[in-house]
Amino acid sequence: MSTTTRKIVIAGVMGAISIFLGASHLGFIPWLAGAALTIMHVPVIIGAVLEGPVVGLAIGLIFGAFSLLQAAIAPTGPADVWFTNPLVSIVPRLFIGPMAWLAYKALKTTNEALSLAISGVVGSLTNTILVLGVLGLYRFLPWALIGTIAVTNGLPEAVVAAIITLAVVAAWKRLESGRRSSTI
Amino acid sequence: MNTPAIPLIDIRGLTHRYLPGTPLETKSLCGIDLQVHAGETVGIVGPTGSGKSTLLQHMNGLLQPQQGDVRVNGLSLADPSVDMRLIRQRIGLVFQNPEDQLFERYAGDDVAYGPRNLGLPADQVRERVRLAMEMVGLPFAYKDRLIAELSHGQKRRLALAGVLALEPQVLLLDEPTAGLDPQGRRELLQVLRQWRAKAGRAMVLASHNMEDIAELATRVYVLVAGCIVFHGSPRELFAHHEMLVQHSLAVPAATEVMHALRQYGYPVSTDVLSMEEAVNEIKGLLHVQTN
Amino acid sequence: MSRRTEFEFLGRVTIGQYLPTGSTLHRLDPRTKLLVCLLLIAVVVASQSLLGIMLLLGAVLVGLALAHIPLSFALSGLRTMLPYLLLLALLQTFAIPQYAANATVLWRWAMLTITDRSILAGILLIARFSVMVLGLSLFSFSTTTTELTHGIEHLLRPWQKLGLPAHELALTVNIALRFVPIIAEEAERLMKAQASRGADFGRGRNFIQRTRKLLPLLVPLFLVSLRRADNLIEAMEARCYLGGKGRTHLIHLQAHVADYIALAAACALMALVIGLSTANADQLLWRLLSTYL
Repeated sequence: MSTTTRKIVIAGVMGAISIFLGASHLGFIPWLAGAALTIMHVPVIIGAVLEGPVVGLAIGLIFGAFSLLQAAIAPTGPADVWFTNPLVSIVPRLFIGPMAWLAYKALKTTNEALSLAISGVVGSLTNTILVLGVLGLYRFLPWALIGTIAVTNGLPEAVVAAIITLAVVAAWKRLESGRRSSTI
Repeated sequence: MNTPAIPLIDIRGLTHRYLPGTPLETKSLCGIDLQVHAGETVGIVGPTGSGKSTLLQHMNGLLQPQQGDVRVNGLSLADPSVDMRLIRQRIGLVFQNPEDQLFERYAGDDVAYGPRNLGLPADQVRERVRLAMEMVGLPFAYKDRLIAELSHGQKRRLALAGVLALEPQVLLLDEPTAGLDPQGRRELLQVLRQWRAKAGRAMVLASHNMEDIAELATRVYVLVAGCIVFHGSPRELFAHHEMLVQHSLAVPAATEVMHALRQYGYPVSTDVLSMEEAVNEIKGLLHVQTN
Repeated sequence: MSRRTEFEFLGRVTIGQYLPTGSTLHRLDPRTKLLVCLLLIAVVVASQSLLGIMLLLGAVLVGLALAHIPLSFALSGLRTMLPYLLLLALLQTFAIPQYAANATVLWRWAMLTITDRSILAGILLIARFSVMVLGLSLFSFSTTTTELTHGIEHLLRPWQKLGLPAHELALTVNIALRFVPIIAEEAERLMKAQASRGADFGRGRNFIQRTRKLLPLLVPLFLVSLRRADNLIEAMEARCYLGGKGRTHLIHLQAHVADYIALAAACALMALVIGLSTANADQLLWRLLSTYL
């Protein structure tokens, strides 16, 4: 059973990684034509998988709050105009952790590695769908465009999140999965 | 007498400013002149924050010279046409606590990272990994071991193997024995001695561990607040006891003991580098006393 | 960016931009600044009145002046965003049909419709964003991260009694802010170490390749951070950290008259703006102006 101290510290450290990724160029994997796949939500997923939904919620809050602050203080693109609204930047992000944790918990007993990858996908898609959903409800973007973005940006982002979540948590928990030996 | 070969690394007037153009600008290197020739082990000594790491990072091109010239095998690193990948293969840099950078699950894969980045074919990669692992004292069979299950000293040697697999000409080491127990330290120093024995190689050792410097270095530079304040052999360095104390630098324990004995009035030489030499000096003293 | 700067900027991430001008605004209790900031965000989101938002804009500009922040500096963020802002405002104006009642259609061509509501939506977008940028920047210019964590901790304290894990949350934020520079430094070190082994981050034929190329940086970064977390947990427990119950505090924030005045003024302003929004002041003003023009 994880102690409260542990939960606080892990939430803080994962939150810090999320902030760092957002503040530096490391959080952005170049994609097509100037757009980027972001990974700032991955620490939220990892924290939730390691320590539970409440920790995931806290990291999501930190991630969201920082993305709002950044959008206002150092805006770089059109998305930042929308992200200055907490309903776009903070509220959807609160769900990333709990959803990822649910997916992980559901599949954990079947195959831990698979559950990690799926939790990455679920967490990332939660981010994509909820954020785009709010943008749609606010009529900032037409639904047709939102659908396109969800697929062209959201799906690859989900795959990226799965890769990173699996790599990190498998290493941390010393999971023996996949290959049994080196590729040399 | 044959003409001296061009230095493997030739640094002239290297200056580096941290955060240039901001109100927090500080000079981290002030006009460094330093050469490394084949067969040498150059020691760079200095307190923490003196710029040792910054200096090392200029030697393999991680940092570009803001002012001054850094040449590797005659090629200037400021030249934009220079292939950085080649430089980083020739000059291998081992950071402090290199075991932190291990990211693969299995030991062999991590050592293979460097050779794979060089684009070598699989059989050559395998051969390089084998040679590198054996050079650091890890049997090739360990390639299938989980990195998480290796001891701290083994992880450190594995990380070193990762750099040796690139087959560099010059090895730059930043505090190589930091955090190792005496056994681990002895093993690592032995590996380094064996590596540098091959012709054409050189080593640069940035450390504030004076024992390491005393054991390995052929020439020493002392770096304080970014400036070189001394250049000479290790013996010459440790003879300048007052300068070392002034800059809060340590002296090998053996030398320290000799200095203390001298202060008590015993006629011993302070020109010792290792425990063996100190023991011989003391033996000599005892012979004189008993005779 | 040239090769030189490739590694140097990684280790220096800043959260916000503190600008020490020593003004009265800077010296306000962090709780005041935080509360006003939160009120501002809430009201900007809730208000439907352009008049109200413009009022807030004026108030924020006054705040910037009081804090001795040079105006051109504060507006630089907006300046860079201007093209995007106009683009998005245009997008809202044209492409999104406003099916609200009483919307007068002003122009129509094929699928594009402009109603008076959609123009208002476009202008509101720009106005809201401007208020947020200037307001949050003002907050950032006048508050250090230490002040921020103290303010959060103090504000959340009374909620502890209602069951909210206030102390825990405040501590989490504190740890997060503290760890950012540590993680940045570690990332820089890792990037340099892997680059020294010939690593080529972010270059690959597809996004999966590019992600895998980042793993030698990301995996060790997370692992080292988790190890540091373990150390911190042990250290805290070794120093008898048993949670927030009954903990006393070293720093006690003291509110002064200036704080109460500032808070009262802010509350009054926000109430006015909400009032304008609910009373549909925009409509009234429009009708007033149209009868005179």
